[in-house]
Amino acid sequence: MKRIGVFICHCGHNIAGTVDVERVTERLRHYPGVAHSADYIYMCSDPGQDLIKEAIREKGLNGVIVAACSPAMHEATFRRAVAASGLNPYQYESANIREQCSWPHEGKGEAATLKAEAIIKATVEKVGRNRPLVPISAPLTRRALVIGGGIAGLQAALDIADAGYPVILVERETALGGHMAQISGTYLNFEGAADLLASRIEQVTHHPHIQALTRAEVEEVSGYIGSFTVEVSTQVDKDTRKQGEEDLSTCLPVSLSTAFTFDVGAIVVATGYELYPKASLAEYGLDRIPDVVDGLEFERMLSPTGPTGGQVRRPSDGRVPREVVFVQCAGSRDPERGVPYCSKVCCMVTAKQAMMYKQQVPDGQAYVFYIDIRSMGKGYDEFVQRAMEEVHVLYLRGKVSRIFQQDGWVVVLGADTLSGMMVEVPADLVVLATAVVPHAGAVDLARKLRIATDEHGFYTEAHPKLRPVESSTAGIFLAGAGQGPKDIPETVAQASGAAAKVLSLFAQEELIHDPLVATVDPDLCSGCGACVEVCPYEAREIHPVWKFAVVKDVLCQGCGACVVACPNKASQMRNSTPIQLMAMMDAIV
Amino acid sequence: MIRRGLIIGGGIAGMQAALDIADSGHEAVLVERLPSIGGRMLQLSETFPTLDCAQCILTPRTVEVGHHERIKLLTYSEVEGVTGQVGDFRVRIRRKAAYVDWETCTGCGTCQEKCPWRVPSAFEAGVGKRKVIYTLSPQAVPNKPVIDREHCVYFLRGTCRACEKFCPVGAIDFEQQDTFVEERVGAIVVATGYELFPKERLAEYGLGRIPDVIDGLGFERLLSASGPTKGRVERPSDKAIPKEVVFVQCAGSRDPERGVPYCSKVCCMVTAKHAMLYKHRVPDGQAYVFYIDIRAAGKGYEEFVTRAIEEERVIYLRGKVSKVFQQDGKVMVWGADTLSGVRVEVAADLVVLATAMLPRGDAGELAEELGLTTDGYGFYNEADPNLRPVDTPVPGIFLAGACQGPRDIPETVAQASGAAAKVLALFAN
Repeated sequence: MKRIGVFICHCGHNIAGTVDVERVTERLRHYPGVAHSADYIYMCSDPGQDLIKEAIREKGLNGVIVAACSPAMHEATFRRAVAASGLNPYQYESANIREQCSWPHEGKGEAATLKAEAIIKATVEKVGRNRPLVPISAPLTRRALVIGGGIAGLQAALDIADAGYPVILVERETALGGHMAQISGTYLNFEGAADLLASRIEQVTHHPHIQALTRAEVEEVSGYIGSFTVEVSTQVDKDTRKQGEEDLSTCLPVSLSTAFTFDVGAIVVATGYELYPKASLAEYGLDRIPDVVDGLEFERMLSPTGPTGGQVRRPSDGRVPREVVFVQCAGSRDPERGVPYCSKVCCMVTAKQAMMYKQQVPDGQAYVFYIDIRSMGKGYDEFVQRAMEEVHVLYLRGKVSRIFQQDGWVVVLGADTLSGMMVEVPADLVVLATAVVPHAGAVDLARKLRIATDEHGFYTEAHPKLRPVESSTAGIFLAGAGQGPKDIPETVAQASGAAAKVLSLFAQEELIHDPLVATVDPDLCSGCGACVEVCPYEAREIHPVWKFAVVKDVLCQGCGACVVACPNKASQMRNSTPIQLMAMMDAIV
Repeated sequence: MIRRGLIIGGGIAGMQAALDIADSGHEAVLVERLPSIGGRMLQLSETFPTLDCAQCILTPRTVEVGHHERIKLLTYSEVEGVTGQVGDFRVRIRRKAAYVDWETCTGCGTCQEKCPWRVPSAFEAGVGKRKVIYTLSPQAVPNKPVIDREHCVYFLRGTCRACEKFCPVGAIDFEQQDTFVEERVGAIVVATGYELFPKERLAEYGLGRIPDVIDGLGFERLLSASGPTKGRVERPSDKAIPKEVVFVQCAGSRDPERGVPYCSKVCCMVTAKHAMLYKHRVPDGQAYVFYIDIRAAGKGYEEFVTRAIEEERVIYLRGKVSKVFQQDGKVMVWGADTLSGVRVEVAADLVVLATAMLPRGDAGELAEELGLTTDGYGFYNEADPNLRPVDTPVPGIFLAGACQGPRDIPETVAQASGAAAKVLALFAN
């Protein structure tokens, strides 16, 4: 028989101002199963917690309820207090009589008092049937996998490795560096991006704790936080030259595919972005008119290591362009032809490109078509001001309606919404700031990793405000533009953030998982698989031999979807069984 | 190497950095100037773009910090001196006199109830009051009050002592003095946050001069269910429900003559949220937004502003406001719509200014103490703007949040974790 202690909190006036706490305390004292009932002004305070500990000792309580605020506030506090007295912490439950009673029913004392009483009585019924539970412990492999060798992946790998843990870095391309390797210079200070990046790559390739695999792709992922198993395939070019052979024409590289399997405890996904497909922007002439290029192509033109050695030239005839039109939001903020979202980096990239062009061709003219100028970052607005006022880049607020070839020019037709006039610019070169979209393989990878993506294919974070570097799956973290468009500093900071989460995970002595998970009664389960289908965490499967559903309890988040789906009531939540819930209902109605 | 981290500032940035460090097995000392943690985010009503209640998502965090076995919380405290270097800093911290013995105090709230004096509350951002003995919120962590000595009638005139008379545990201590503690730590994270452009410098917009012109944080408090009006949107002057509300963006931002030249980054989204929440509370009201550019660059942000314009029928006017003045019980707003080229005049019931974000007023002093440099406006400089955004030029000192430059909550949280990663890598040596 349970001997339950009920402790009712005044929460200053938050509860006691509305609910007649003394009366509720008195009523509960005589409720079946309740061995002790007390009230106190602030149960969460140290003296309040001491009251609980004392009563557990003196009255031999084996179940405890604190009727106070939401369990989100203090459930952990009271579970700890109960455990400190030697009681199983899952013999504790919160009864929420603040957020769900006194606050919404302020001024209605009598009704609120009755409701508080009912809430607590229902909780007594639950605790009376609670079983002691033991946290689930799971294995922890202190090695990380970083997917993507761009600046995000490099940074995350370095931060994890610098803290002493081994990292496997997987990059699809032949070299590390990602898109940053294509960029000529950074904005604000025009620093050579390649130089900045080279030092990072150097650190990574020489790091004793980092194993970097290029031309490698993740094929399969299984397992869960703390113990993932990852299969990675790599392409290796085997040099068939014989020793001392010089003539390259005699040897053909042979591509060999090799697969590796790794065990890792955490994964950082840093697969980055690509630009909106050219073919989809045919209206702007991209892919149709040679002198219409996208932002990355223009970066290559500006880059000293690029095909023109850093000289801006028209692709069609190699001439130095005198009139260059930059078109922002090419595909962005355009639900009809492109994507509805803003690509975040293009305003600054365009301002930088226009300035770099003007540095090279001082007598040339640069035009920028924009909708809004989004230069929001440290020194960013000032940078755009400089482009306008000092470098005399001409900014035109409006969308471009048509781009076509005429007499050797690329004619850009657009509107200037500020003057209300149509503008026609015969240009030598048009640079489109095309939309940032997730990497083509992102959705497929997300499926392998069992992480969520949004409607555009960007990885979804666990909470948009407070958990921006965690994915929807425990143990998998996000870095860089794969999560959404972001610039280099934001990417680097976020990548370090993802690394911090990995480091916190690896610092645990053992992985502990909340035991409030679903269970299956094999006698009731028909093996229909309805629960397997609804489980959002892939925490269930039909056992191949036994033919009934089994729960992988380290993956289960206790959401209860399976309980609802099960036609036979074989799926149950620990300590929230149908018997408990019915008893709670009986206490209320 | 002393494997303890000190975090200066208990807002969302500092809390996140402290949690990440402490969750990794190291001790974190969190120093907060105010009586309790939570920072600016605790003043917010709802957050964009999901319209989550800020308090609901934040209080579990403040509680987690408050109860973490490896976080030492020093609230109502300020860093006064720092010596040493990476691996071994010695930090002198002033623990301000609360005039309440926090060890004895149970946080029952009787003192606040009995205190007969009310003064304008900085936390309520000009739209509400608090008692002279106060906590910042009923869910404050720690839930311990302080006496505002400047306004306490006992300190001013030698009488009252109501709080002392009614305190059931005898925790009031008018004799309490500031004390000093020294903490030895291996690394420091600076997360001192921001403040809004001072009201008196925006007198042209009527702020501080016309009662029904308020700033964004003031409007947050009006919207907040736990604010002074319990979430009822009302004009400060006569408590009437405003039917025409004008939101003015870039009040002080992007304005080298009257304010600061930089963009405050968050206001476009904050204003869209304000206008939307206003429309939810007052469906027959009209909201106008004056803007220069709409800067909705973040995940789901553009879609959020589009929703405000298309579904909530907020009227966006591209132009600067030229004049704000009182006339016949209304606040007249004169502005230009640069798209149609016509002058716009709105007789508003309430004007909400999205005022510029500034570093904290004492950011410079702390910079000097720590050996950090600041930009022209007082924001702390990072070691490299591209590849070392959370490092400072001083080894062992890192940056998190808006003290480095304006940023919103998700960016702050990600960066704060980034700063924690640097501390953890350092401690791994």
